[in-house]
Amino acid sequence: MTIAPTTIRPVLALLLACVALLACSQSQDKPRPLPSNNVAKADFSGFWELNYGQSDNIQVELDAMVRDLRKQMDRRGQPGMNQGAMYNVGGGGTANSGASIIGLAQMADLITQSQLMEITQNEHDIKVKREGDFALTCEFYLGQFHTVETPLGKEVCGWNAHQLVFRILLPEGLSIQHVLTVGADRQKLNIATTVVSDQVSTPFVLNRVYERYEPQDEGYSCKMTISKGRVCTTESQ
Amino acid sequence: MYHRIPVSLAMLPAAAWILLCLALPAFAEDVPPPLAIPVGNVTLQTAGKLPEDALLDVGLAIFSPGIPIDAASHSKMGIFPEIRKAEAQFIPVYLRQVLVASGGWGVVRVLPDADASYELLITGKIRRSDGLQLVLQIRAADATGRLWLDKTYTDETAQSDYPVAAGDDPYADLYRQVANDLLQFRLGLSRSQLQEIREVALMRYAADLSQDAFGGYLEADAMGIYKLVRLPAQGDPMMARVERIRSQQHLFIDTVDEQYVDLYEEMAPTYNLWRQYGREQALYQADYQARASSRERYGRRGTFAAMEQTYSAYRLLKIQEQDLDEMALGFNNEVLPTAMEVSGRVFRLNGTLTSQYTEWRSILREIFALETGLPPASPAAQ
Repeated sequence: MTIAPTTIRPVLALLLACVALLACSQSQDKPRPLPSNNVAKADFSGFWELNYGQSDNIQVELDAMVRDLRKQMDRRGQPGMNQGAMYNVGGGGTANSGASIIGLAQMADLITQSQLMEITQNEHDIKVKREGDFALTCEFYLGQFHTVETPLGKEVCGWNAHQLVFRILLPEGLSIQHVLTVGADRQKLNIATTVVSDQVSTPFVLNRVYERYEPQDEGYSCKMTISKGRVCTTESQ
Repeated sequence: MYHRIPVSLAMLPAAAWILLCLALPAFAEDVPPPLAIPVGNVTLQTAGKLPEDALLDVGLAIFSPGIPIDAASHSKMGIFPEIRKAEAQFIPVYLRQVLVASGGWGVVRVLPDADASYELLITGKIRRSDGLQLVLQIRAADATGRLWLDKTYTDETAQSDYPVAAGDDPYADLYRQVANDLLQFRLGLSRSQLQEIREVALMRYAADLSQDAFGGYLEADAMGIYKLVRLPAQGDPMMARVERIRSQQHLFIDTVDEQYVDLYEEMAPTYNLWRQYGREQALYQADYQARASSRERYGRRGTFAAMEQTYSAYRLLKIQEQDLDEMALGFNNEVLPTAMEVSGRVFRLNGTLTSQYTEWRSILREIFALETGLPPASPAAQ
């Protein structure tokens, strides 16, 4: 049985439209799906220190986001409620409320507070130890992303060309994405953190730039054991 | 000729797929393994003094670790694969100790791989193992193919089970229950049945060496139950060779067995501490989740207070998990050197010993073939 080409076109168009619709609906509470050509890799290993001067200023980013949202509202012919509250750009209700917009920026600030990072990486996995926060970990699988589920959230990670992407999907419409990019000379590392809330129509993106540093040789190395706890020796690593 | 399909009809599969995707829950639940009722407090039954010819030799194969292929589920199920692989070797050794203590058995050996020619072969799979609960699927069958038991055993720990005294185990009741069930079955067998098991075991081993020479002595029915068709003549030199080769194999297993015991003794103190910490962690986490789900939200959805609460809950869970992971690393740091003295890493031990065992059996077959001039049985035919 053959289907007439004239019939296929509208069917295909409708299918594509549905898929696009689905993608759009998802993009409101989740970042875009990752491409699957995750072959090229970069080496992030080492010790990294936050460079405030080169990192995004949260106030500047917040102002830019509010301007964008206002433009969006203006284009739609829905003037923002900007007379009273500084950041209210929605037309009432809960979406794009000032509290939600500022909350998103505050969340981005909270999530990106780590000043020091230690990254260990080999061909199979990576561990990004962040000062004051949980470590981001990822196992590498050729052509697919690594998923970890916990009772309180889900993580997906993997390569997007030379970038490493960590995505954390949390309850209540909150999701976080960290994209790690290392400079060609491997002296600078950028983490682009995107925070998405289903209560704000635009995600909040904050770039943090880290610079490589060498920790001082403490003259000892330690490892974790159960019966003796942290065991240190003066032997070099 | 073209058949026109209405657009709405053609869209059905796509629509169904989209609806299915939308309907799927964000976090699909893993199907929990069917659990048996905990064994409770169990007293080990002992067999008393049994005559030598009433004792069956027991082979306890290293357990299946029961690690799901889907790596994404490990974290959710609280499985640390490296520790689980070590447990698969640890658990049979303790079960062997309990079986020996019950006194109703001949030689009880821990085997790197299952060997159906053992008079009684016990295999197992770890369904769950952490500081709170141990769930084992245990199967025991004798050489004739008679199934003694195929059962799931569960035991739970109480606060009083920790810290674990030297030589003890927080799940000792479970092991005692397995030993009691096996002994009960064994005591229900007649002397002639025991004799038949021993004879079939020997002939199955002989057939394993040379199907051509010994395959005709046995017959298996559709259910896989073996029976003897006839026996070799008394003083048959071929059977003497078979018995000698078998004792060579036992010698190898006894050497391997000592390695398992060493591993067990080295591993036990650390492993018990790990289980104790695991229990404390699990109870804390359960308590935290219960409090997190029951308490009121700090703020309206989308506000910083609400998002911070969501993120903080996740962060705390991850930190707890990663602490446990660090402990697993600590566990490996202590276990690895012991295993390395034997055959590299503890997690390679199973593979290495299994392959060594397989290779040894293959060598024995070749020796037997050389001695007798009979064609060796191919491993695929076993």
